[in-house]
Amino acid sequence: MVAGTPDAAGHHTPLLVLHPTSRSPRFMLRYLIKRLLFFIPALFMVSLVAFALSKLAPGDPVLIMSRSRADETMRNLVDAERVYREYSRLLGLDKPVFYFAFSNQAFPDSLYRIINPERQQTLRKLLYQFGNWPALESYYQAIRPVETELRQLLATKATDEVIEHLRITQGIYTTFDTAGIRNRLVALNTFGNTIPENKTLHTAVDNLQEAYRQLCQHPQRSRLFLPAIHWYGFDNQYHRWLSSCLQGNFGVSYLDGRPVSRKIREALRWTLRLNLTAIFLAYLLAIPLGVQMARRAHSSFDRSMTLILFLLYSLPSFWVATTLLIFFTTPEYGMQFFTITGISDIPAGASWGQRISENIRHMVLPVFCLTYGSLAFISRQMRNALLEVLQQDFIRTARAKGLPERVVIWKHGFRNALFPIITLFGSIFPAVIAGSVIIEVIFNVPGMGKLTVDSIRSQDWPMVYTILLLSALLTMVGLLVSDMLYAIADPRVNYQEKTT
Amino acid sequence: MSEFTPSPDTGPAPGWKTQVWQQVQQRRLSRWSLRVLLVLVFLSIFGDFLANDKPLYCRIAGKSYWPIVQDFAARQGWYQWPADLARPDWRDLPYEKVVRTPIPYGPRQIDRRNLGLRSPGGRQRLDTPWERHWLGTDRLGRDVAAGLISGARTALLIGLVAMAVAALVGLFLGALAGYFGDQRFQLSRAMVIALLISIPTSLFYGTTLWHVFPAGAKSWSILAGIMIMLTGIGAGRFFQRRGVGRRSLVIPLDQLIQRLIELLEAIPALLLILAVVSLVRRPSIFLVMVIIGLIRWTSIARFVRAELLRLRQATFLEAARGLGFSHARIIWRHALPNALPPVLVTLAFGVAGAVLVEAYLSFLGIGLPPDSVTWGSMLQQVRESPKAWWLATFPGLAIFITVTVFNLLGDTLTEALNPKTRVSNL
Repeated sequence: MVAGTPDAAGHHTPLLVLHPTSRSPRFMLRYLIKRLLFFIPALFMVSLVAFALSKLAPGDPVLIMSRSRADETMRNLVDAERVYREYSRLLGLDKPVFYFAFSNQAFPDSLYRIINPERQQTLRKLLYQFGNWPALESYYQAIRPVETELRQLLATKATDEVIEHLRITQGIYTTFDTAGIRNRLVALNTFGNTIPENKTLHTAVDNLQEAYRQLCQHPQRSRLFLPAIHWYGFDNQYHRWLSSCLQGNFGVSYLDGRPVSRKIREALRWTLRLNLTAIFLAYLLAIPLGVQMARRAHSSFDRSMTLILFLLYSLPSFWVATTLLIFFTTPEYGMQFFTITGISDIPAGASWGQRISENIRHMVLPVFCLTYGSLAFISRQMRNALLEVLQQDFIRTARAKGLPERVVIWKHGFRNALFPIITLFGSIFPAVIAGSVIIEVIFNVPGMGKLTVDSIRSQDWPMVYTILLLSALLTMVGLLVSDMLYAIADPRVNYQEKTT
Repeated sequence: MSEFTPSPDTGPAPGWKTQVWQQVQQRRLSRWSLRVLLVLVFLSIFGDFLANDKPLYCRIAGKSYWPIVQDFAARQGWYQWPADLARPDWRDLPYEKVVRTPIPYGPRQIDRRNLGLRSPGGRQRLDTPWERHWLGTDRLGRDVAAGLISGARTALLIGLVAMAVAALVGLFLGALAGYFGDQRFQLSRAMVIALLISIPTSLFYGTTLWHVFPAGAKSWSILAGIMIMLTGIGAGRFFQRRGVGRRSLVIPLDQLIQRLIELLEAIPALLLILAVVSLVRRPSIFLVMVIIGLIRWTSIARFVRAELLRLRQATFLEAARGLGFSHARIIWRHALPNALPPVLVTLAFGVAGAVLVEAYLSFLGIGLPPDSVTWGSMLQQVRESPKAWWLATFPGLAIFITVTVFNLLGDTLTEALNPKTRVSNL
């Protein structure tokens, strides 16, 4: 989306009171503190939203982490469980999710200890089927002896049959339909009968079957209908995450184990470089253009510029970016002026001149794509605001006084037309993060936008949390800054308390 | 705006409609945008008759068929194909007579003779000139023109459904906040207690029953939840009538709704949409529409709120209140119609925004089914094959035109409804 496009209504409604008397710094300070205090509950809510999103996400964080690190030990069947536990302890997943949980009497408060989400889901479904936790627990615990027996068998004779039945046993952990469980139990039983000399396997399978029979015969579904609240206290995942955030530790990325804050800092460098250039250029060009258009309102210049700017504004930046990219970087079209390969790999020994020219070659296209949309929007806003001001009486007075046109426009008109420009300026802060997602993806810039998309795609939740929090904070700071700027630009604005 | 409505049946005078119409007639660009919009609507409704692998009409073995119509009916279960035509390759059947669509390819149909990016003007392997891929093919040999036409339907649907959802939420919450404000929404204590009990109870038993009921009967649990809620409200009424807990509590609706809006707006919409869409386990286009709608209602709510805040003291609303009309009726019949024009402006811009968001999502390949053909997904292909300029140009142009049309319509509405800028002839 075009950087800095708030809605026509203005971004929000501050307590704007036009009051001629008091605009003392004390009021401003009190207002500032009040607004800053409001950040706390808002950020708290955003953190809840981000956390809830991560908990709703499909996929197992432990697997994401271990898969992306290509951990060899995970592939080893025997070690898998131990490694799984280690990783989940590392990620704090062995803790309850939140301070409390609503559930019912049938559910134990220790369900969170089953870390594997698939197994936990299976247990939930079985609980909804039978509602009898003690019976279910003994059934679930009876699976393990069978598994260990088969493992030992595997160590002595590794036939396909043993491996197959080990798989079947492990499959029981995640099977919840009655027919599926029965089939697996029957298969294990017949397998046990083929090796009658192995007594321990026999008893283990028999115990498992007995436990399942007990479970089926003693359902307690009535307990499902009695509500319960489980209180977990402060040692939970959310609390741990939030308190470490407050200490400035945003965790480590699932993908490569590097600290989130460092990854963000590195990405921010690129994003800031691109966006600040783009914003600077946009304002530099848009303000004189808008002023010219307003001065010559309804002339042919104004009308054609309005049309051009309108079309520019509607041009989807990602289309422009893609088109520019393919035409200017593919040799086939004979216009290969720019390069796209790795923006960050400038040779270490390059001179300053080389460095700058190389940077420019990389940055021209993305900066152009980031600029033109906001340029169109800002100059339109500038034109309309100034046009409205120029029709007012005090401008006529200024002209009648004989002031030069330059002074009339820039000193008397421009200052009063600043409001929409300030509103836009406030929306720049969050745009630094979210404004350039697509452009960075297209031009392969290792900035915040690309980082965001990559982390969302690979479900790197610590990254996503932090980015969401950061962008929320920047949005609020942007609003605050524009409110402060309103007061500076127009002495009539003051943020005194509403006196009604 | 303080017109008094003498009889509630006539409704407020539709003054702004004529203004908008005049504005459309005056501005050449507005007229054109309306025409282009009509073309887009036509394409999305009748696209199947323009680009399809099935013929419009054919005669096989002395029997006549209208395959497109019959296929549509068959998919609804109204019609049964004869066994030999159940799953034919429509390209080579022993036709006696056949009338093809202008583009004889379906959007997802793979033309095996023209795999791997045939350019529009380049060599294509064809039996008849009619079969030419006028806008080329993509890597899988799918016709670009057919894809564009089916993409028009997706884009318009996205815009329409997403904004319908957004309008529903935005109008409801905005009207509540603006009409009642902080002081005027009052509930008796009995009702507050009844709601506090019945909402969690209905949620609890609704979800429990959802899990307990067998797969076919799950929707009954929703009904059960609603029944519990209604029972609770009924009990609240009962006690309120008997004078138990009649003292009323003021609910600061405006504050609550404003905080919600601020919370949603604190997170950049595109990021939030990306994050929420990536949660979806089974990608579907309708889910994406609903998600876009549920995230982008805030500006509509703000407009409605501001408008109703302004109208709250208007004499015609006082009069309606004096006549003893219910709040719901006053909001729906008297207040909201007057708040509609600014909402229309937001809706027009919102459709443009939703079309863009969909294009972004399918461009990034997040949230949409992998085999869906949309403008964004076609455009995305060019990143892997930069030589295929036609894959960048045509879908991008389609997105551009659609976005421009809706932006222009929004602009027209703004100018028509803004008395200061009404006279302008672009």
